[in-house]
Amino acid sequence: MSAAAPAVLRAEGLVKRFEVGRGLFGRARGVVSAVDGVSLAVAPGQTLAVVGESGCGKSTLARLLLRLIEPDAGRIELDGQDLRALDERALLRARRQVQMVFQDPFGSLNPRMSAGDTLAEPLRLHAVVPASERATRVRRLLDQVGLPAEAAQRYPHEFSGGQRQRLAIARALAAGPKLLVCDEPVSALDVSIQAQILNLLADLQHELGLAYVFISHDLAVVRQVATEVAVMYLGRFVETGPASQVFARPRHPYTQALLGAVPVADPARRGTRVVLGGDVPSPLEPPPGCRFHTRCPHADERCRQEAPPLPAEAHAVACWHTQRIADLQGGASPEAPADGIAPDHARRQGRCAVLQRLQAAFERRAPTPSPAPSPSP
Amino acid sequence: MTPLLALRDLRVSFQTPRGAARAVDGIDLMLEAGQTLCIVGESGCGKSMTALSIMGLVPQPAGRVEGSIAFDGRELLGLAPRAWADLRGNRLAMIFQEPMTSLNPSHTVGRQLTEVLQRHRGLDGAAARAEVLETMRRVRIPAPERRFDEYPHRLSGGMRQRVMIAMALLCRPALLIADEPTTALDVTIQAQVLELMRALRADTGTAILLITHDLGVVAEMADRVAVMYAGQVVEEAPVDELFAAPEHPYTVGLLGAIPSIAAPRPRLAAIEGRVPAATDWPGGCRFAPRCPFADERCRSEAPALQAVRPGHRSRCWKAPLESLVAAEEACA
Repeated sequence: MSAAAPAVLRAEGLVKRFEVGRGLFGRARGVVSAVDGVSLAVAPGQTLAVVGESGCGKSTLARLLLRLIEPDAGRIELDGQDLRALDERALLRARRQVQMVFQDPFGSLNPRMSAGDTLAEPLRLHAVVPASERATRVRRLLDQVGLPAEAAQRYPHEFSGGQRQRLAIARALAAGPKLLVCDEPVSALDVSIQAQILNLLADLQHELGLAYVFISHDLAVVRQVATEVAVMYLGRFVETGPASQVFARPRHPYTQALLGAVPVADPARRGTRVVLGGDVPSPLEPPPGCRFHTRCPHADERCRQEAPPLPAEAHAVACWHTQRIADLQGGASPEAPADGIAPDHARRQGRCAVLQRLQAAFERRAPTPSPAPSPSP
Repeated sequence: MTPLLALRDLRVSFQTPRGAARAVDGIDLMLEAGQTLCIVGESGCGKSMTALSIMGLVPQPAGRVEGSIAFDGRELLGLAPRAWADLRGNRLAMIFQEPMTSLNPSHTVGRQLTEVLQRHRGLDGAAARAEVLETMRRVRIPAPERRFDEYPHRLSGGMRQRVMIAMALLCRPALLIADEPTTALDVTIQAQVLELMRALRADTGTAILLITHDLGVVAEMADRVAVMYAGQVVEEAPVDELFAAPEHPYTVGLLGAIPSIAAPRPRLAAIEGRVPAATDWPGGCRFAPRCPFADERCRSEAPALQAVRPGHRSRCWKAPLESLVAAEEACA
């Protein structure tokens, strides 16, 4: 993956294996290679989205990047500094630069700490500001994420799901990081709240020049936030590149299947999908060769034996048959929308303009801070 | 022609320490035989409770169900528990988000499926087994003979949901109620299950009431759509119309809030605030506190669900919404 500016974070050849089913006498019954040789780089102000289905290793990857779990092999560089060579004190300093936002803020926030204390803790831990300025900084953090100042006195259970995620983001920002690793940050939220949080993350990135590693299973959300995309399948990246290119011209058969499977919120386009058969194989016994070959319509003998490498290209694909697949699809854009007949089209366009004008009313109102909630039962 | 299902002024309420929670608060909906009606809405809007009330599964005695549920021309409210049980899994079937909670972990898949045939159609032995295997094949469970003797925990999430669909089909129901059937599944597996449901509807003519929060799933599956907010239906329309020309501001906001896979939007429409609590619905229009178009009347008087065009109803004083854009242009 290329990035014009020097990367904030760079990882090379990350590997993580887990032993599973350790029995009474300590013998592991199997090994899951959750992450198997992953390299990535993120530049300031950019968002690298890692997308994949459950069990593909994307959450493990997120934790490796922060050294929340130790990789078995590979290198992680933060601002050119080798993260794995650091001792504990130096690692703590480095952690100011990289913070994490989890899917479930309830699980990551201390229920006995008020919002104010939650935010003051990292300020103290990393000595971000002198003690006398902490209260002011807490108020600024709350304001940055769209929470009212009086929220400082409330406890996590007194917030709604969306507000808790705002608080978790504020805590991540407290240390003044350059990079946020967000693991499914909006997956547990209703769609209207999800939109609020995605808009907030976009605003913060714009204001603070933050880099994001954004882990998600939701392709529409990824399309909204990503500048770069990495598609992950059973521990490996199968396709990486600029989001606009990967979404417009997906080249790996798995990426194509994944994009084809997303239900599109447009009834005019229903029923145009190609459905991928089979289940994701168990990561305990990943298929040899290309890990996707058991579900791939293009697989042949070579795919079953040799794992295809991911070349060092801007838009890279780990597949033996990229060219053949491109020829087969003959440049026909599978994404071309099927419009109706002309008069209907014109009517649709007219209606579309009305709908966009109506939606703009919601966008205009968006920046006002949300009203204080009633405590949830 | 009488519709297959008609809900009239359906209400479900619970007594809570904070007062009565009116989870479902006056629903009027109809579903014709062989059609798919989607109910879409966010958490707490009452969509799942609506589904449970049709199945007679509202938690008792805490929940109070009032109004009318006419199915096949027969009133279901007030039915004896035994009569409900006979209907369920027979003319009426339901699948849930998490199939593991509705499958018995200590019985094999085959036993649970054959039990349905015994209970509702008096089929036994080899005949029951043959029909179960045939149905498993129809819902595309690979190697059904082997799966027949397996326990549910051995199956993947997608495979379990297929077993649930097979179970629902064995009794050839007139109505299948599916509550978020693909929400727990990965996107490639979701596509398989949705395709399966479409194929089954085409084959068997089963009507589907699909409860979902996902507008993409709605666009794929629905003939008609009802949007629920705060215990009420706020809009109901044919699927094409709902997406092209929504007539309730909540629907407008929802459609603008979902990211598009085709291209990033400059900004997502954010419906500010949050869904109110069922013990404390706002007076007037329930969406008014979050609506960018609300005025004094909206905050004080509750609008009724009314036809904007034939077959398209909206619960909004401002509908048709086109007038809002015209008014804005006049101001500019």
